[in-house]
Amino acid sequence: MAFIPGQPVTAVVQRIEIQKLRQGDNLILGFSIGGGIDQDPGQNPFSEDKTDKGIYVTRITPGGPADAAGLMMGDKIMQVNGWDMTMVTHDQARRTLTKKKEDVVRLLVTRKSLEEAVKQSMSYPRQ
Amino acid sequence: MNNSNNQRDSDIQKKIDHEIRMRDGACKLLAACSQRDQALEAAKSLQTCSTRIMAYMSELQRMKEAQVMQKVTRRSSDAGPMDDRLPCKGKVAISDLRIPLMWKDTEYFKNKGELHRCAVFCLLQLGGEIFDTDMVIVDRTLTDICFDNTIVFTDASPGFELRVELYSCCSEDDYSAGSTPRKLASKLSSSLGRSAGKKLRAAMEPGPCSPVSNGGASPLLLPVPSVPGPKYHLLAHTTLSLSHVQDSFRTHDLTISGNEECSYWLPLYGSMCCRLAAQPHCMTQQMMSGCLKVKQCGGDPQSWTKVFAVLKGTSLFCYHRQEDVEANIEPAFTIAVNKETRIRASEKDPHSKVQNICISNQYGGEEVTHTLTTDSREDTHRWMEAFWQHFYDMSQWKQCCDDLMKIELPSPRKPAPVTPKQGSLYHEMVIESSDDLSSTVSDILARRLQELELRSQLGTSPTWMSVFDENNPKSAGRPRPCTSRLSGHSPCTPHRLPRSPVSPHRCPQTGLLSSDASLTSDSDSHCSTSPCSHHHGWPEPPSNFSLLSSSPSRLRPRTLSLDAKLSTLRGRGYGGGGTFQCPCQPPPSSLLAPIPISSRSPRSQRSTQTTLSCSSSTSSNSSSNSEGSHSPESSEGAPFSRPSPARRSLRNLRARLDPRNWLQSQV
Repeated sequence: MAFIPGQPVTAVVQRIEIQKLRQGDNLILGFSIGGGIDQDPGQNPFSEDKTDKGIYVTRITPGGPADAAGLMMGDKIMQVNGWDMTMVTHDQARRTLTKKKEDVVRLLVTRKSLEEAVKQSMSYPRQ
Repeated sequence: MNNSNNQRDSDIQKKIDHEIRMRDGACKLLAACSQRDQALEAAKSLQTCSTRIMAYMSELQRMKEAQVMQKVTRRSSDAGPMDDRLPCKGKVAISDLRIPLMWKDTEYFKNKGELHRCAVFCLLQLGGEIFDTDMVIVDRTLTDICFDNTIVFTDASPGFELRVELYSCCSEDDYSAGSTPRKLASKLSSSLGRSAGKKLRAAMEPGPCSPVSNGGASPLLLPVPSVPGPKYHLLAHTTLSLSHVQDSFRTHDLTISGNEECSYWLPLYGSMCCRLAAQPHCMTQQMMSGCLKVKQCGGDPQSWTKVFAVLKGTSLFCYHRQEDVEANIEPAFTIAVNKETRIRASEKDPHSKVQNICISNQYGGEEVTHTLTTDSREDTHRWMEAFWQHFYDMSQWKQCCDDLMKIELPSPRKPAPVTPKQGSLYHEMVIESSDDLSSTVSDILARRLQELELRSQLGTSPTWMSVFDENNPKSAGRPRPCTSRLSGHSPCTPHRLPRSPVSPHRCPQTGLLSSDASLTSDSDSHCSTSPCSHHHGWPEPPSNFSLLSSSPSRLRPRTLSLDAKLSTLRGRGYGGGGTFQCPCQPPPSSLLAPIPISSRSPRSQRSTQTTLSCSSSTSSNSSSNSEGSHSPESSEGAPFSRPSPARRSLRNLRARLDPRNWLQSQV
């Protein structure tokens, strides 16, 4: 998942669609994020590459909308509803996720297990 | 046949009449309205109506031509029933349209000069349906043009062409196009500066772009009413089709018309991002249903199961009874009918003279075949026909039939909750007291005064007290430090909760005590809990007030209003978007004056914690969260705000996720 500046990022991603839950006046998703280009990437316990300033999922509320949709702790969020999340500030990420007008967020997330699954499936000889 | 044609004709005619009426209304509105916004909206409706009229008229023409052709062919040859299969229709939805802009850095960072603004909207056309999005005003502070609307077209065929057109109109007050007489216009343009004059001239005349253009549709059949007022011009367009349909966001190229000289020009990056989804009817509706007998191959030859089968989407659902379908009970079993399935009619059953239908699927390397039989030959024929149609539909709609794509219908939006105007913290604080504000204030002052009295017993009273001492002849002259602070701090006063006066007024000059007294104790109390955000860079206890900072907790009750509010908010759980519903909204810009949070243990008191997180949530709100590692508090909810040392030692991960090291937000 390391990136080379100037080169396009490639990753194996999974699409996750989360329906926001309405609690009174708020729409909640049920997870917490960390990271951002304005944050210290060395503190990120989930990233492989300690210079990765992407947005990571740090906590999932059990039973919440994100949990139901299949989001997992440690996932890196690449896109939210078409908006890029690999080069944004922490606050921009939070704001993109919590737009009041949107009831659904469609995320593209990546995690190490996805890449490994792809590698394994490619290594098995086709019958 | 003729009747249905006539019916369609009259339908379209009705639509045309309706649109003409709407257009007339829009013209009248445009002529009558004075405000720029209204004029832009009216011009947008005008544009939409005109486009719709043109589309309907061309459809009418096409239909008439088709009718004529049909009559001709019928006379000339024996036209049998058309054997071509038609694919099913479907719904196509486009949403989250986003068009990035590419401002020149000189434009982007300009702080002076007028903001060049354009009003833009999108027209989307598929078949005979034309919809427009809401209008958005774009200026150089925007990086993308975003349209929030979701547009759903209900009757699309797989070969659809969705045409997206971006119209824009210059929205500056100086250039009211068309109203300035030509002579004056040329005089002006020659006397103004070169670029301004160019813009003006471009706004006067239509220029290379026609006012109402649909880029390639049939020529105008009706004269377009020329109405004074803003006119929209086509800025960019693109056409989307089935190959662009996907269940996620994609980027498409735009064809841009117009150039920099036009008044309505915007520097588009050249692409458009959107989500285009399609739901063919074969995926959402029941294509065929009826009673069948099913047998699984390899099983007992006599074990026919009677089911009520429904063909929908990529499966054949087999229910025990017909009523189960309505009741939403799970089907007895499901047979997949997708691109990999093979269906064929088998040999005639020797017992009943009816052909069987065999459905074969590959389930993980193994072939599983189900055999269906019906009661009569006609039924078998109908089922085979349905299967063929279904396969044809799937081959036409291609990727849309792999999985059902979700289309969210725009829900009728509830009226947005009345959000208080962006004011300061103080607008949202409630003084839970009697209505008489003056008595509130005097209560507060009385309280402060009492404290001051106590303090003054310790030693000399603060020097500024003399100012307010009526009896003191030396009252002249020290307003300076007080007034400046006064201006800065007077807002603090309202949110003091009045307590029942602790003791009767001792000083006769209660009323004269400036709010400065309360301010000092404010600062005093806040110094003890936190360097509160609403003090403009209040310097750490200045020498004047050294006295007052002595053990305030003994005398000064907590700022009930602020703390009480915060603890109720924390009790509410999620703060919603990482932002507490905390009234600590726009902070003064000088918030970034080093908040000495790091110097104190943030976990000494829970409410301290809360206050601190409140202030840091404001700092993140002001998006100047540059010191990520500095801001030790996260705008997080309750679970993370009490890591105790014991727990830290238990969970390593939790420790590394300690918000004091790494900012996290709850969404």
